[in-house]
Amino acid sequence: MIIRRPMIYISFLALSVLSVSFVSGNTVNSNYSESFPSVVCPQKLSGLNSQVSIASSKVQFQSLENRSSKTVPFKSSRFTLANNSVVINAKGITPVVWQSRTGSWSGGAICAGPATSQWFVGGSANVTSRGHLLVANSGLSEAIIDIATYSENGKQPIKSITLKSRSSTQISLDALAPGDRLLAVQVTPRSGRINSFLIDEQGAGLKSLGGDFVNAYSAPAQEILIPAVPNQIISKGQKSSSSHMLRILAPGNVDTTFSAEILTTDGRFIPVELSSRAISAGAVSEFAFAPEIAAKIFSVHITSQEPVVASISTSVASNGHKDFVWSTGVPELTPMSMAISGLTPLFTFSGDSISLRISVTFANGKKVSKQLKGEDLVAWRAPNNSTVISIDSTNKKTYAGAIITSVDGYGFIPVQPGSVLTRVEVPNSNIRVLNP
Amino acid sequence: MSTKDNNFVTAILITHDGQTWLPAVVAALASQTRPIDKVIAVDTGSIDSSTRLLESARISFITTDRNCGFGDAVALAVKEIPKQVKKTNEWIWLIHDDCAPSAQALEKLLEAVEERPQVAMVGPKLLGWHDRTHLLEVGVSIAGNGARWTGLEDLEYDQGQHDGIHDVLAVSTAGALVRREIFEEVGGFDSNLSLFRDDIDFGWRLRVAGHAVLATTHAVTYHAQAATNERRSVDVEGALLHRPLLLDRRNAAYVLLANSSWWMLPWLSFQLLSSALIRSLGYLLAKLPGYAGDELLAVVTLLIKPATLIKARKERKTKRLVSSRVISVYIPPRWSQSKNAISGIVGLIRAKIFPVAQNKSTSVLQSLDEEDLLVPAKNRQWISLLKKPEAAGYLLLTLISLIASRNRWGSISGGALPTSPNGASDLWSSYFQSWHLVGLGSSHATPPWILILAISSMFTFGKISLFITLLFLFAPLLMMWSVHRLLKKFSSNRFITIPASFLYAISPVALASTNSGRLGTTVLLTLAPQIPLILSDWKRVESNSLRRICGLCLYLSLCAAFSLVTVVISFGVIAPAILIDYFTFKNDSNRDLFLARLYRRAALLFLPFLILAPYSFEALAQPLRFFAEPGLAIPGGTTWQVLLANPGGMGSMPLWLISPTVLILLVSLFTSSAARTISQYGIIFISCAVIASVFSISFHGNSAEVSVWTGTFLTVATLCAVVSGVIILDRVRRVLVSSNIHYRHILAALLLIFTAIYGVTSSGWAILIGADSPLHSGHSTVMPPFLAAEPDTKILVLREIAIDGNKSVQYYVSRGTDIYLGEPDIAPSQIQEIEIATQQLIDGTGITSSKTLAAYGIKYVFVKNPFSTSIIQTIDGLGGFSRTSATSLGVVWRVSGAIGRLVFTSKDGVQHVLQSSEPDTAITVPGTGTLTLTESFDRSWQILQNGARLPRARNANGLAQFAVSGPGEVTLVHDGTIRRAWLSFQIIIFTLVFILALPAGRRRREISEQELS
Repeated sequence: MIIRRPMIYISFLALSVLSVSFVSGNTVNSNYSESFPSVVCPQKLSGLNSQVSIASSKVQFQSLENRSSKTVPFKSSRFTLANNSVVINAKGITPVVWQSRTGSWSGGAICAGPATSQWFVGGSANVTSRGHLLVANSGLSEAIIDIATYSENGKQPIKSITLKSRSSTQISLDALAPGDRLLAVQVTPRSGRINSFLIDEQGAGLKSLGGDFVNAYSAPAQEILIPAVPNQIISKGQKSSSSHMLRILAPGNVDTTFSAEILTTDGRFIPVELSSRAISAGAVSEFAFAPEIAAKIFSVHITSQEPVVASISTSVASNGHKDFVWSTGVPELTPMSMAISGLTPLFTFSGDSISLRISVTFANGKKVSKQLKGEDLVAWRAPNNSTVISIDSTNKKTYAGAIITSVDGYGFIPVQPGSVLTRVEVPNSNIRVLNP
Repeated sequence: MSTKDNNFVTAILITHDGQTWLPAVVAALASQTRPIDKVIAVDTGSIDSSTRLLESARISFITTDRNCGFGDAVALAVKEIPKQVKKTNEWIWLIHDDCAPSAQALEKLLEAVEERPQVAMVGPKLLGWHDRTHLLEVGVSIAGNGARWTGLEDLEYDQGQHDGIHDVLAVSTAGALVRREIFEEVGGFDSNLSLFRDDIDFGWRLRVAGHAVLATTHAVTYHAQAATNERRSVDVEGALLHRPLLLDRRNAAYVLLANSSWWMLPWLSFQLLSSALIRSLGYLLAKLPGYAGDELLAVVTLLIKPATLIKARKERKTKRLVSSRVISVYIPPRWSQSKNAISGIVGLIRAKIFPVAQNKSTSVLQSLDEEDLLVPAKNRQWISLLKKPEAAGYLLLTLISLIASRNRWGSISGGALPTSPNGASDLWSSYFQSWHLVGLGSSHATPPWILILAISSMFTFGKISLFITLLFLFAPLLMMWSVHRLLKKFSSNRFITIPASFLYAISPVALASTNSGRLGTTVLLTLAPQIPLILSDWKRVESNSLRRICGLCLYLSLCAAFSLVTVVISFGVIAPAILIDYFTFKNDSNRDLFLARLYRRAALLFLPFLILAPYSFEALAQPLRFFAEPGLAIPGGTTWQVLLANPGGMGSMPLWLISPTVLILLVSLFTSSAARTISQYGIIFISCAVIASVFSISFHGNSAEVSVWTGTFLTVATLCAVVSGVIILDRVRRVLVSSNIHYRHILAALLLIFTAIYGVTSSGWAILIGADSPLHSGHSTVMPPFLAAEPDTKILVLREIAIDGNKSVQYYVSRGTDIYLGEPDIAPSQIQEIEIATQQLIDGTGITSSKTLAAYGIKYVFVKNPFSTSIIQTIDGLGGFSRTSATSLGVVWRVSGAIGRLVFTSKDGVQHVLQSSEPDTAITVPGTGTLTLTESFDRSWQILQNGARLPRARNANGLAQFAVSGPGEVTLVHDGTIRRAWLSFQIIIFTLVFILALPAGRRRREISEQELS
């Protein structure tokens, strides 16, 4: 009797704990909204041809300068662009834009979502320069953009421009650092939904010296991998006819030393001209190198003590005229999709141990998967009539780029998503935000 | 009966059911040192043995009707007295049947008038019948409000302080000596004043007739005041319902209005009425509605029959020789009345606070023991105070509180506590307003704790922030004091009760509440220990008086005002008790007992609920609000924390710091003392807390669900543990001291060691880590001041808030400023359209977000720093938002469109904002169209045009829309009738319960003779 009643109460407590432990669960108050931001493709410069490859004809787009926010379908998987930039609701399949000047040059770029910072290493502002920086504001508010230019003479004064809503502009590169030969440009929007593209076009008088898109970096890094550098072999006995120029900038305040390792299907090595080279902070440097390799394509792995940005310019000959290609660094490869309608790019994958599954969607809707494996560098050309390639899975520390050839010239495109899945937490209404 | 002087004195004895006092009166008359020349009695229809007593005393008497007044009876006697021819000074000595003159009374009265021929009436010093040192009167006057004025304090002790011969307005007819010819000359007593105030009226009339009235204290009479003290029925003519008070008040008014100058009459009438009203209110508060009615009825019955007064004034005019103003010197000034009233109130309060100590007779031998005599006296050092457990305990807790509050000097906020408003007036207005500018606007009832806080802040001269700071600073001390009051009932050993009280003040629930700014639980921790003290016996609840029950209802209302879950707990405790009572009634069929218990328990259940209306009624509509703590919705703790009596959440102690609460409760379960029953309650409350901890609710402006705060349940559990522990220790100590060491010693030692370790570690934690809790001062404001520059602007505020270490994006609509105390409690739930617009604003898909926000009158979007730059760029990129500023506080965008509180849309769809859209101001409308009010929809919103209400509808966004038929002025009104009705209901219920809880006044007939004298 003495024990009975206490035991009832203890049992009651135990039962409460037990019952609660069954129904107990963490309160999840966070909901997320996932979406792919719309991507922007650059406007066309005067005299150029521009086509954009999209996943399907149903993909919606709107012209940037059109005040209406209504979107319309492309009605084709490869669409010829007019003078305006376009905003594409690509839904995770990155469109690729291909621009060319007939008989002169061609180049490619990916259409991407708005960026908070973009670095372009390429172009020049000397007498041969005909390049432009293209800036598009796809937002519905006015934008303010800071443009910082670096050259062999160091950092130039920052130039700020204001861009109206849903508009784009083009700035001649020779206006950024007049007379300077080696340019690196950083575009930082202070406000607005900003995308920028850089076209490096060279010419001497009426003679075209080629041109290409310079694709963008998001941020300097101590380790950069440039996955696809073309290496054109012209004739027998001559190992390499291409000339390669590595342009590099350490934008910080400290001078640094870097080394560049060349990765080919036959192995990797560091050319003596790119081994432990010192560069000054804030000044753009250029190093020529000519690797004696038989491979038509290679990649370059740059390591530095300080964060750097770098690109490689390769001169090539195409249908009897000169052209050059700007190969830029890329971020680590992640599962993604890219629209390549009308293009047959040569993909290169670089890394210590490459293992990835790639699938190809053809125009007729058929889908084929392929497993790629290798070390240092694996090259793979997309089949004809393919519209979308998808990286389904990949090893870590793998990087990818693509070289596209056409009758007008060569071009490089980084294999990276133009827009990443944005996972935004759905905000809760909470009056606590008004409490200090 | 031969006398040497020149006076002939006839004593006129008026009797009316006076058998109680008559023997003493007759004896007193017979023993006069100056013999009375003649005695004549008039019996006004006594139904007791008064006449027989008169007969036995051989006093001749006349018998009249029972309703014959005093004045008429005297007149009747005077007529019977033959005129004296030998002696020149003929006097009548008025004797009541309840007044006994001292032996020398007549002699001294005659002495007083011997050299004063102008004196028409002289009265003795009146002392109490039972307590013959109680001074009743030394002359009498009348105050402007009709009060009988003696100039003496209540129950004044006679020690000769008023001795002498005084010129007065009047003297009481009890023992008054009146010159016969003047009595007849002025017409005797007014027959309209059959009883009461006839003496003052007579004195007044003597004065204006040019005579003097004296009071001599050398003559003493002992007066029982039987009629005034309701010791016999009042049967005179005109005494409605035999009510002496009514007659007294009526006569007082009559005296004033019949004798005063005519130009004084309006002022006197007003004074009489107003003072009657005030006194009625006082009697109502004292639960004496009969007396309250008497007060009002007395004045009304006189004023509605002015003919009597007119006649009386005419009669007085014929005999008046001097102006009525001659008596003004005898009318007490108003300040002296006020002084007496204040003095009385202060005396009452003093008596309550410092009750007269019981005389403890101590033997001289006890105090003067041998040691005291031998040891030389020396002053105690103040340090010896620390050896007293009370001093040491409170000092230690004060030190800990001060150190732990080092970051809480100044205006504090954080955790669940919002910023304090500037002054109490903000809280007052918030409580009475029907519409609150919080979020999109709210008509929720303001919680009653806001009103309590506003009233309490009077102690800090209306400075709410100072009051809150002091409250949280002294909360541990208050908790300790409060629980110690309770523990003293269970043990007289201060070495047990003080440490137990200390442990209560640093219990996990106490520390968590104060550290996280939980105002409700902090107050409840202080209030809860008093509940068992007020309610003496819960099982036999009928032993508690109605007054005590009402007092407890008020106290429970106070608790529930701060923590509405108290109502749920009350229900949980009372409902089973009623069921048990019912089954007991089924067995013993004691209906009266069952009903007595039922009424009391039901009152405890429902009255607090009614007092808290309409706030409590709103909670009925949303029952989860019962579990909402005042202030911001922040999460409570996990089940495991709660199981260890730690409510968890912000500012709570870590899990490893285990309090002995549950252990004590479990140990107490196995005892055979009262601790066992108490610990059973404790275990039940711990179990309830455990169950409650698993639920999550959304409340107080937070759309996310947060786990329920179990602080209220754990407060009761902790209290039970502390009380149980004290009972056990008090009992065990005695057993252990007298026994050899065995397992009980070891168990007790382990429990004590465990408790001591907790005491030390929790104190250390409170000082070292607890001080950095969310509640602290020095917070910077959220909203930039410039956003408050535009009045009544709605701003969507986005901010990243850390909850349990995880940051998440939250938003709310601000009115330009931060939130203040009480606002979260009335915050409206957010509208889904705004929620979607905000979501799209952040994920970049909100092309129409600006239109949605504009539709709800949101003019700005403010992103509070620190915030992700990508989101800022996203908003930059969306249309309809133009950035207006970017400061260290954050970035502000203006939303495009016509945005205001009241937006006019013309027939052709053109919108423009109407200026000056404050409620109750006139606004000009340009033409036909619709007016959209961008506040939350509420039926009380109205727009008036030419005195007519415009038809109201709800638009697609759920906002109120009014159809305007033509141009002209319109007025926006929020009709607060419903709120006012609720407040009136609340005031009525509160007043009723408050009056019932007050100490009840007693009718004079209920007061014992000893108390009266």
